[in-house]
Amino acid sequence: MPPKINAPFVEKVLVAFIRDELGRCGCKKGVLGLSGGLDSAVCAALAARALGPRSVLGLIMPYGTAFPREVRDAAALAGRLGIRHEIIDITPQIDLYFAAHPTGNRVQCGNKMARERMAILYDHSVREGALVLGTSNKTELLLGYGTVFGDLACAINPMGDLYKTQVRELAAHLRIPAGIRRKAPTAGLWPGQTDEGDIGLTYEEIDAILYGLVEGRKSRRELVAAGCAGAAVDRVVRMVEASEFKRHLPPIAKLSIRSVGHDFLYPYDREK
Amino acid sequence: MKIAVAQIVPKLGDVEANVAIHLGLLDKARKQKAGLVVFPELGLTGYTLKDLAEEVALDPASDPRFKRIVAGTKGLSAVVGFVEESPADPGLFYNAAAFVADGRVVHVHRKVFLPTGGIFEEAKFFAAGRDFRAFRAPFGRAGLLVCRDFLQYGSSYAHHAAGAGFIICISAAPGRGVAGGDAFETSRMWELMGEAVSYFSTAFVVYANRVGSEDGVTFAGGSFVFAPGGRLVARASPVEPELMICQVDPAAVREARRKWFFQRDEKPEAVWRSLERIVRAPED
Repeated sequence: MPPKINAPFVEKVLVAFIRDELGRCGCKKGVLGLSGGLDSAVCAALAARALGPRSVLGLIMPYGTAFPREVRDAAALAGRLGIRHEIIDITPQIDLYFAAHPTGNRVQCGNKMARERMAILYDHSVREGALVLGTSNKTELLLGYGTVFGDLACAINPMGDLYKTQVRELAAHLRIPAGIRRKAPTAGLWPGQTDEGDIGLTYEEIDAILYGLVEGRKSRRELVAAGCAGAAVDRVVRMVEASEFKRHLPPIAKLSIRSVGHDFLYPYDREK
Repeated sequence: MKIAVAQIVPKLGDVEANVAIHLGLLDKARKQKAGLVVFPELGLTGYTLKDLAEEVALDPASDPRFKRIVAGTKGLSAVVGFVEESPADPGLFYNAAAFVADGRVVHVHRKVFLPTGGIFEEAKFFAAGRDFRAFRAPFGRAGLLVCRDFLQYGSSYAHHAAGAGFIICISAAPGRGVAGGDAFETSRMWELMGEAVSYFSTAFVVYANRVGSEDGVTFAGGSFVFAPGGRLVARASPVEPELMICQVDPAAVREARRKWFFQRDEKPEAVWRSLERIVRAPED
């Protein structure tokens, strides 16, 4: 398993990271999607500490009425943290699109919704003069369990180097309500969906394998010898390998002597 | 003597702003009667420069901004980190540290070990220095190192063999590992070396690291000063900027060397012969 984190120290580092990144681009505000789940709750709590609660806007963007508890939990969390929030129903535009282009594929529908939410977040980024805060954790990034240009899109990601099980530790330290901490993680693409049901492994199992692969640089054989189930290791390795494209900007065909993405290399955080 | 370690957050790519930060802290340290002020690696430029390296490079002998820093060292000494491009080596950009004392550049060290691998890519953008040279500082013989130089222990040995009583390392070391105490796990690595080098070189070790973050990487702070014999004099915060000022007695070098004979008994010629053989016949 990934080691237990020193949660107060992690909080200090991430709060400073959010503050520094926003400070550099002259932004004082952050905007993020609030799903009612754990990751967005932790990100909202960190942002509230970094920027002050009134400088954080949480957008709750349900499709239809199938997730009343998620909307309720998200709004209650915003109230508890003292951050501003707004509920934006994405049903009309999603329904309009799929009426014209029907599909029976639930994942395709879910991806479309995730990208709609991303578009709304970026629109509010301009309205508010706020940066979009990402909420993807390390487990999701490694498995590719997210929608490219959807929930994976953001200006900065404070949580991308914390495994899901470590996000839970941080959540407990940040006093995220138990109701949010204990519910089954879900991408919320359809009612009853859960991450662990989709992947077929618990987050404890997944994180133990990922930690061995990534930080431990272990081979499949070594992980199995250390007690991981062979089929589980294979499944995780397959997901990591198949999702490499989600962790990169698209490759640019190199033609010239000096090219964007290849050898025209500048830091993201240059002072403007 | 008071040593001040300026654990700062440089502004990436903005030399003018960083000169102002340096001048402000030189002033503040002088008011507190510091004899030496040590700034972190690439303090005048920020660390994650990539192709910006050549845009922020300067010649310490002629650059007007650097001259303002040099002029700001009247009555004290300072170690300053910057990107060097000298007229003698045009087109070569060095990750460098200058020792400046009382309005004069005394010595420039060019980083020898450029970490390249994992999160580091310095050798893609910098030329490597080739020498460790101790020099005479107002408070005793000293040697400079830049960050990774310090972790390759031959570097400190070279200064030890030259008799340095002050080994000064400037750094921009990122923090990695959050499962430990109230600091990054990698901070232990630097302190371990600092303690050992100060013990076995019977020398002061001054380590100035930076804080803040660039491109997602947080720098681990934790600057420290060890007195000869591995005695921790002061340690700075792992995250917060700070001007850490501590009192040291340069006579401690003499005291330690009367008690422990590592310096007296050193045989660089034996080490040199061995190294020469190894370098000439690496496959033997």
